[in-house]
Amino acid sequence: MLKTLIDAFALISTWEVIIAMFAASVYGLVIGSLPGLSATMATALLVPVTFYLSPIAAIATIVAASSMAIFSGDIPGALLRIPGTPASAAYADEAYAMTRKGQAELALGAGVWFSAVGGIAGVLSLMILAPPLAEIALSFSTFEYFWLALLGLMCATLVARSSPVKAIAGMFIGLLVSCIGIENPGGVPRFTFGITDLFGGIEPIPALVGVFAVAQVMRAMLTPEPPPLPRRKFGSIMAGQWKLTRKYHWQMTRGNIVGIIIGVLPGAGADMAAWVSYAMSKRFSKEPEKFGTGHVEGLVEAGASNNASIASGWVPSLLFGIPGDTIAAIAIGVLYMKGLNPGPTLFTEKASSMYAIYLMFIIANILMIPLGIAMIRVAAYILLAPRSTVMPIIMLCCAVGSFAIGNNMFGVVTVAAFGVIGYVMEANGYPVAAMVLGIVMGTMVEQAFVTSLIKSDGSILPFFERPVAAILAAMAIGALLWPVMVWVWRKVKPVQTAAATSR
Amino acid sequence: MRLPDSVTGSFLVVLGVAAAYGGWILPPVPGQPVGPNVFPLVIGTGLALCGLAIVFGIGHSFEEEEELIPLEDGQAAVAPPPPGKLYGLRALLPPALLLFYVFAADRLGFIITAAIMVYITSTALGAKWKLALPLAALSPFAIHLIFGKLLRVPLPAGLLPTPW
Repeated sequence: MLKTLIDAFALISTWEVIIAMFAASVYGLVIGSLPGLSATMATALLVPVTFYLSPIAAIATIVAASSMAIFSGDIPGALLRIPGTPASAAYADEAYAMTRKGQAELALGAGVWFSAVGGIAGVLSLMILAPPLAEIALSFSTFEYFWLALLGLMCATLVARSSPVKAIAGMFIGLLVSCIGIENPGGVPRFTFGITDLFGGIEPIPALVGVFAVAQVMRAMLTPEPPPLPRRKFGSIMAGQWKLTRKYHWQMTRGNIVGIIIGVLPGAGADMAAWVSYAMSKRFSKEPEKFGTGHVEGLVEAGASNNASIASGWVPSLLFGIPGDTIAAIAIGVLYMKGLNPGPTLFTEKASSMYAIYLMFIIANILMIPLGIAMIRVAAYILLAPRSTVMPIIMLCCAVGSFAIGNNMFGVVTVAAFGVIGYVMEANGYPVAAMVLGIVMGTMVEQAFVTSLIKSDGSILPFFERPVAAILAAMAIGALLWPVMVWVWRKVKPVQTAAATSR
Repeated sequence: MRLPDSVTGSFLVVLGVAAAYGGWILPPVPGQPVGPNVFPLVIGTGLALCGLAIVFGIGHSFEEEEELIPLEDGQAAVAPPPPGKLYGLRALLPPALLLFYVFAADRLGFIITAAIMVYITSTALGAKWKLALPLAALSPFAIHLIFGKLLRVPLPAGLLPTPW
């Protein structure tokens, strides 16, 4: 244990890791603070850079950039009422109301302080949950993996803030995309239409860059530019935060716990955590009438929640290769490329690397406090950059980055295609996160499914015979039938009430 | 690009049926009951069923209308530009420029292609030439410095090789 810890320290105390982490932090803060550029997009555009770094430095950049971007989205939320990332949308109104009351320092300070606390709570959950779960996961067979993957996919569709049917359809589209190529049980070219570039399948990373970055530039083409930020002088940002922590320690803890749980659920990420926690805070508050008028309580809980979900999203990613959120989906891609294939054995064979990940998360969240304060002070200057200068650079990064993944122009075509797919899906209420999950998990789902079918010799029964498999199966099928049941229930209920009134 | 649910749903039905059929005709692995054909078959069927459900409006009640953040009193006066028929097509500009990059980068070289892309995107987003031109002239070099020089991505030199 102690030796692993020392090894982990040795792994992260190289100049490469330190510089990578610092640069990624600044990058994450800047991208997160610009409205329209999300934390997922920041992470996706970072991937081509990680190719050229050592495994630990690569993970360091992702950890640092994603944590920082989630906090930094609070800044334009509080000052302009425009959330910098979707994760800040839940409480942007509240924070802006505080700014108008002259409490911008308190709102932003709460953002940075409770983000850091939440992030550290998330890491603790990762450290505590992952090793025992790895023990259990070691005894899983393909049947359990199949149901677990299916359950993960279903979770993603249930928590989407959209129609569950559309979310399931999005997931199927993602799985269909993962079918392309010759990497299948028979090794035959599948859905390649004779195009050689498709033989290797669709790489998840260019697809993600397309869905999250190009689609965003496309949306920017049709939406008006956000107003510039009024320049203002800030007082002390951290003043009063300790008092808030003592006053709202229960709300903070509840936010942390909710964030951790939502982070662990596949497909549900920081934005979901913030929405749920904000609603919860309002529901259980002693003074709910103050919400919406610039009350800090909801900010504390939701801020503590969204950052906690970032770290706990790594739990299913590291254990099963099932991404906890879209950022973790990108992280999984990087882990595979760096030879740290997700799975329970990661915790025994590469224990020092795991400890290095924990340490980096802790360092990133501590680093967030000074860098975050600095960022708040210079945010007015960064937000001066008009969209017409930022978006072209994003476009160039998309083109060059997707080319760099395979030194292949086909990557750029993939990015463009998925930009259109992501844009059309989003515009019509199909959650893209579900599709992303399908793409990332497709190969794994198919392998587990086909291997299980071969083992069971065509019979369905073995899928339910093992106790853990049976429980997971019941949960997955329940999630699948849920929208249908609600629909039927709503159809039946008006008939009943109509019958009751006519009597 | 908001299409009626019946259109997107029908498209999914067609896509699902095509995928299931495409899976069906794949050659099986000899002596093995399940092969590469099973998974597309299952997914295609599922997708077609989802498409049908969407056409019939199942699950529509779960959808939340997009929350528009109301503007401040003073800003509401600035009306958005009247959306003409072709206005919606502006959204296709970014993917079109990426395809342009695919076809032109090898011939024109990275710097020239990138400069054209930056200039067009920037102008489309409302930048005046005073801003767009210097941006188009400088940013390709900056990106080339980071990706081409530091990260050693083999970016095409084309007509205008970089000084390094």
